[in-house]
Amino acid sequence: MKLVLLLWIMGVIYAVLYIVPPAEGLGELVRIAFFHIPVAWVSVLAFLLSAGWSIQYLRTRDIQYDWKSSAAASLGLLFCLLATISGAIFAKLTWGAYWNWDPRQTSIFILLLIYGAYLVLRSSIQEEKERARISAVYALLSFLTVPFLVFIIPRFYFSLHPEPVINSGGKLEMDTIMIYVLLAAVGACTALFWQCFSYMVHNKQKSA
Amino acid sequence: MPTIRLNLLNCIWAIMMKDGLCEFRTRYAVSALFMFALISLASISMSIGAASLPADLTAALLWVLLFFCAMAGLSRVFVQEEESGTIIALQIYGSGQAVLFGKLLFNILMLLSLTMLIIPLFIIFLNVDIYHWPIFIVVLILGDIGIAAASTITAAVVAKTQGKNALFTVLTFPILLPQFLSSISATAKILMNVKPDISDILFMAVYNVVLMIASSIVFDYLWYD
Amino acid sequence: MYRDISVKLVDVSKSIGTRVLFTGINLVVNAGQCLAITGPNGSGKSTLLKIIAGLNQPTTGTIQIISNNKQFDAEERRACLGLISPEIILYADLTGRENILFFTRLRKIRCNEHQIEGYCQKVGLSIDKDQLVRTYSTGMRQRLKFALMLAMQPLLWLLDEPSSNLDADGKRLIAQMISNGLEQNAAIIIATNEPWEAEHADYKIELA
Repeated sequence: MKLVLLLWIMGVIYAVLYIVPPAEGLGELVRIAFFHIPVAWVSVLAFLLSAGWSIQYLRTRDIQYDWKSSAAASLGLLFCLLATISGAIFAKLTWGAYWNWDPRQTSIFILLLIYGAYLVLRSSIQEEKERARISAVYALLSFLTVPFLVFIIPRFYFSLHPEPVINSGGKLEMDTIMIYVLLAAVGACTALFWQCFSYMVHNKQKSA
Repeated sequence: MPTIRLNLLNCIWAIMMKDGLCEFRTRYAVSALFMFALISLASISMSIGAASLPADLTAALLWVLLFFCAMAGLSRVFVQEEESGTIIALQIYGSGQAVLFGKLLFNILMLLSLTMLIIPLFIIFLNVDIYHWPIFIVVLILGDIGIAAASTITAAVVAKTQGKNALFTVLTFPILLPQFLSSISATAKILMNVKPDISDILFMAVYNVVLMIASSIVFDYLWYD
Repeated sequence: MYRDISVKLVDVSKSIGTRVLFTGINLVVNAGQCLAITGPNGSGKSTLLKIIAGLNQPTTGTIQIISNNKQFDAEERRACLGLISPEIILYADLTGRENILFFTRLRKIRCNEHQIEGYCQKVGLSIDKDQLVRTYSTGMRQRLKFALMLAMQPLLWLLDEPSSNLDADGKRLIAQMISNGLEQNAAIIIATNEPWEAEHADYKIELA
């Protein structure tokens, strides 16, 4: 299983570097998107999973759900950090500024804040069951605000910045080959996340 | 003689009055809040001198100020109960929902009173003109309710942790952010002599309702073991 | 109207982390009976009382409070009991009278001035109307807790070290109150270090 994953990742990296043609307008820089988009996707996925397992914990009080929720959150933070940094690098190379608070950047930053808050909260409670219960509650609360954020952030940005820097990276004109490679990259990233996640939960189960 | 169904509104009122009475006698939070607001406003005004700020910056300043005032004083409702040990008696004799809404009401009233004191100072120190008073008041009320609602449930979350006050700000900000941003944009429009859309006001109201419902659902998991 | 409750513990155990406090607690206390829980410091007496009160959950086992063959749900359970414990702290910035009024109001029990004075007299507490609890001595605070409990008219009394902080006179009053309570068919559970408090109990259990 791990060997398959390793080969898959290597295949994707090869494809991104050599097979994918340069994009119109962006040129070679588009290759960063093949890293940025998958990690951003995984960081959102991890958040969804974490919130879902939090609900399960509150319903069943089975501590396994808490382990899963916190493992997903830790990995999610890591992937979110990678997404933020790769996004900032992409922004710098394409538009000359690392950060300009456009809707996408703002959203990933807020996700980073939520992950950070959740993990800080966890580290401040010693008792296992209490920690599980309280952090599950916070995961749910922060999850509920996400729809509001998705709605308000674009409106806020566009109301304050009437001539926004159009994020052309989001509107890539993709050749078929690029789409396939992107999907492969997303798949590889998700599988990598799942592998690390299973490893973390397995470790927790063994030591408990 | 045990009573079976507690009269919820009565309990909510009792809890709010109790918090009000204790606060009135000690003035623990109110003085901190007001002094904080006064000093912040004065220092901003002193630093900019006679210059006038653009509308969006002024709007942002107002809500940042209210936010940090809330962070300074609104966690008291649960944190002080936990620290002074009175939370146990409340857990035995008070039902979760009554406690949540009683304290929420208290926080709303405290923040509204603070806002009423700050707005005149804000207008004077920063030399702003408010063009649409009725809508401005609506925006202030909705924004304050949002801040109070987010603060109350987060205060309950941090009550049993270590490092409560620093954690309180960190936890409240992501939850409050949608309301924070929409309050700023609505206020900025008002300061620019533009009426905010009805959809802006609706967004703020819906956020408050959803947050209060979510707090209510989730609070029992915090309150009872 | 509920009268005559009985408390039933089935196979109750409590562990905090890896430390086991007690296991296999099985007991029944009926109306008009008194149970004494004895044991050295740290044996879990207070924790057991808090579990019966519903403040903590047991690790395994169930607690049932039954009246007329009908089991109480969580809210009814909270409504029928009164707890005295060193961990209970009343509001220091309110007067004794305001404390009693507040808590009885939470229970939808109407209490007028006259009744409050009556309860305070029963526990030997002579209070100035405007004196804040902050100025009370520890003995006075303990008596106030008893006055509050009497005002709640509970069917189940949970007493954790009831005569702590009290002088000889106070201890006599407490003993008198307990026998009065038993005559009125309350079920009483006392956790204590003092042998004399456990003397008149119908049953005793000892935690190791």
